[in-house]
Amino acid sequence: MKYFCFGFALVIVMGCGVLNAAAQSDPYPRMAPVDQYLMERNAEIQLARSAAPDSISRDATILVLGRQGYETAVQGKNGFVCMVGRGWGAAFDWAEFWNPKVRAADCLNPQAARSILPIFYLRARMVMAGHSKAEIVSAVKAAFENKQLPDLESGAMDYMMSKSAYLTDEGGHNIPHVMFYTRVKDGEDWGSGAAGSPVMSAPYWFFSSKEPSQMKGLPPILVVLVMVADWSDGTPAGRHT
Amino acid sequence: MRKNKVHAIAIKSFAVLVVLGLANLVLASLGLANQAMAQDAAKPYPNKVPTKMAAIDQYLMADRAAEIALARSAAPESIARDAEVQVLGRHGFETAVKGKNGFVCIVGRSWTSAADADFWDPKVRVPMCVNAAAARSYLVLFSKETEWGLAGRTPAQMTESIAAAIAKKELPAMESGAMCYMLSKLGYGGDSTPHWPPHLMFFYSDTDPAIWGANLPGSPVVGMSDPVQHLTQFVIPVQRWSDGTEIAKP
Repeated sequence: MKYFCFGFALVIVMGCGVLNAAAQSDPYPRMAPVDQYLMERNAEIQLARSAAPDSISRDATILVLGRQGYETAVQGKNGFVCMVGRGWGAAFDWAEFWNPKVRAADCLNPQAARSILPIFYLRARMVMAGHSKAEIVSAVKAAFENKQLPDLESGAMDYMMSKSAYLTDEGGHNIPHVMFYTRVKDGEDWGSGAAGSPVMSAPYWFFSSKEPSQMKGLPPILVVLVMVADWSDGTPAGRHT
Repeated sequence: MRKNKVHAIAIKSFAVLVVLGLANLVLASLGLANQAMAQDAAKPYPNKVPTKMAAIDQYLMADRAAEIALARSAAPESIARDAEVQVLGRHGFETAVKGKNGFVCIVGRSWTSAADADFWDPKVRVPMCVNAAAARSYLVLFSKETEWGLAGRTPAQMTESIAAAIAKKELPAMESGAMCYMLSKLGYGGDSTPHWPPHLMFFYSDTDPAIWGANLPGSPVVGMSDPVQHLTQFVIPVQRWSDGTEIAKP
């Protein structure tokens, strides 16, 4: 099922990242030069907006990645925030964490913008300042411990329906979907991963936590993905097998 | 009182898809509207929908095994096979099969849809499999409505009963993560919208549908909010039926 291989901060991995980690040597062992993660500003704004239908993204705040992290390029008015995620916005143990080709167009709803986006901001600042993965994990844990990062809000979700996104080296690289950030402890509670189920899920921080201490200090977040039929421009996504 | 049809839609649960063209909205989002409407137009409806409750026997399924199978068809077999299954008795839903994965599969009847012409349609059959969180919250409301429907309460009485039960805290708030599968191709939603595409539903208490970008052009999310029930429902169409077959593309 190739489509298991898509879906930025999440599924990207379930089917691909974890399996690939075992199947091949680490294709991206370290951070690429910073320039490889950056984009032309207008192109990034356009790509960010393409994550959701125009009816949503035209009034959304738009972020672009600068050399110090994400910055606001367009101030919105509907509470949604659109941005282009990079590989290092996904799970820390994803094999493509440092893949500079990843361009995950993403429009977060107000709940996600308030509770997930601050995590993105911190991670981006750390990455662009050249910190290691381990340092980023430590910083995130410290931020939660010091209440500098908020609790997950109920109803946090996002749109990832851009046909121009590049989510992974795997398969067709992309698939339109919506994602939900939940406190659900087990994806099976939503029927995730069951044969024939349209629901997939993966832990937000580590796809496969090697030891309990790895997750210590990180609030459990399960990301649940539901594939949708059309891209944000209304064209059908085609069939998935 | 239900002031308008939109309100009525919101008041009723899963079969929101069955009223007011919302099904067409969802269908349209999948590019199926024209095809489905053409199929529906070709389908005869020999029985006039009653304006009052039909005989209870008409709402029951005499073949218990058939009702169990229909209920299970709401979700992929991998989920439904270990789900509890409830069937409709003369006073409400009864457990027919004990489950072990937390899901509960049932076949909803007409009175849990909107207060429209299909409210008493005894032909309505709406299979759904709710997850454990929904079983502890949404299904409590759903089952109560069914008991009231079987008792012959009118839509107006039903609304009053719901409001009173909520005021007395006899009905729970929606639990975090409450959702259900409605992937059966065998359901019947009533004459107004007999069939609907496969979809998932998510249940929240008192949530503005706008927070999910619902109902906007191009959005795959349909949302409805009902202030009487303090219930917000989101619908996301998916591409496959529970048996794994893909929905027809125009």
